[in-house]
Amino acid sequence: MVNKKLLHIESSGQLCIYCGACVGVCPLNCIYLDETRITFDEKICTRCDICVKACPVGAIEIG
Amino acid sequence: MENLRTDVLVVGAGPAGSMTAKWAAKNGAKVLLLEKRQEIGSPVRCGEGISKSWLADVGITPSAKWINVEVEGARIYAPNEKCLEINEKHAGNEVGFVIERDGFDKALAIDAANAGADLLLKTAATGVIKENGRIVGIKAKRSGEAFEIRAPVTIGADGFESQIGRWAGIPTNLALRDMDSCLQYRMANVDCDVRYCDFYLGKVAPGGYVWIFPKADGLANVGIGVQLSQIKTHAEARKYLDDWIAKHPAYAKGKKIDIVGGGVSIAAPLKQTVTDGFMLVGDAARMIDPLTGGGIANGCIAGKICGEVAAQAVQLGTPTKEFFQAYERGWRGKIEEKLYRNWLAKEKLCSLSDETFNKVVDALQDVKLEKLTVHNILKAVREKYPEVTKEFAAFL
Repeated sequence: MVNKKLLHIESSGQLCIYCGACVGVCPLNCIYLDETRITFDEKICTRCDICVKACPVGAIEIG
Repeated sequence: MENLRTDVLVVGAGPAGSMTAKWAAKNGAKVLLLEKRQEIGSPVRCGEGISKSWLADVGITPSAKWINVEVEGARIYAPNEKCLEINEKHAGNEVGFVIERDGFDKALAIDAANAGADLLLKTAATGVIKENGRIVGIKAKRSGEAFEIRAPVTIGADGFESQIGRWAGIPTNLALRDMDSCLQYRMANVDCDVRYCDFYLGKVAPGGYVWIFPKADGLANVGIGVQLSQIKTHAEARKYLDDWIAKHPAYAKGKKIDIVGGGVSIAAPLKQTVTDGFMLVGDAARMIDPLTGGGIANGCIAGKICGEVAAQAVQLGTPTKEFFQAYERGWRGKIEEKLYRNWLAKEKLCSLSDETFNKVVDALQDVKLEKLTVHNILKAVREKYPEVTKEFAAFL
């Protein structure tokens, strides 16, 4: 299965626990957390991998 | 949703935010406290262990409503699992209560409300409003509707993942070695000793530790922090924790009833936490202790000062970076030195081998420590394993 998205946060409830660790570590501030969702700005993301490592439950994949 | 105005706008109703709101209100300001979630205090990613000595200074009365256990001390486990017991007399500053953050956070928010602060739940900040280079409020969203809140003083108390400080122009990004990725299970049906908070050091938790904080009746917080610079693949916080639990039958038999996780900053103090119209406090201001990972005490101590300075600024009409130096001086005077010292210690400890950890804990077994300070520990280690202390020469 080809994942065409640059960054995929498995936030549909299976893995992501909405802890915000990814938001806090992103060096480009391109991940956002509001009331109930984590979103990100594909235009800014450089696939640095930091959020992937920071996520305590491994919910992030970079495509 | 119509636009709002207030004197002091506090973004985030965790302990630091509520403490700031309470003391700003007590000092005469009109205060609005925002929380993006629909409930205060839950879910909260926190080991829930706090020391006691600072509570009275910020006006918190210990209460059975949020205290699970009053511990007698701490047990530090070396990689070889030899244990160093530190009882309360020596460790008094670092252990005290295991609390229920749900009740604790709500109690602090209630205090703020009773002092006169207004609260708005399910309201998130989406940006700051600047006029002539000064922060004059925030853009907010509530149930999908966008609106503005204006105030002479805006305070960012929005936690580890804080975005508002960065929007306001204060750099809060962390180096990989200044952050731990953490995961914790609240577990039922475990065998633990309610007299102690336990800390397991070494490669079982690279650049962090495994903690067991008992909550009575076979319930305990079982968690881990792993330094981001030592993480190679993904989900390592979970892997390390699950591995550790599997090897410890007292906990392997436990049942998870709660999972929380997040980032914890283990950074040296920020160079700057204020700008025109804006102050940062708590985890958002990187005030978590780099050695212990504890942020509640520092957030509350700084929060009281922040609230007082905010109210003064409103009264005098001077919500400027210059006036807010009173807050900088205040919080740095209380906690900066310890934060910096503990950061140096953490930098050292994160690089120690298991062998060295074993020696350090072993050296301390035979010693009556008058007081648990880094200095006394190193003195004790030097007597038994002088070669180890060469590494710590800078501290002695």
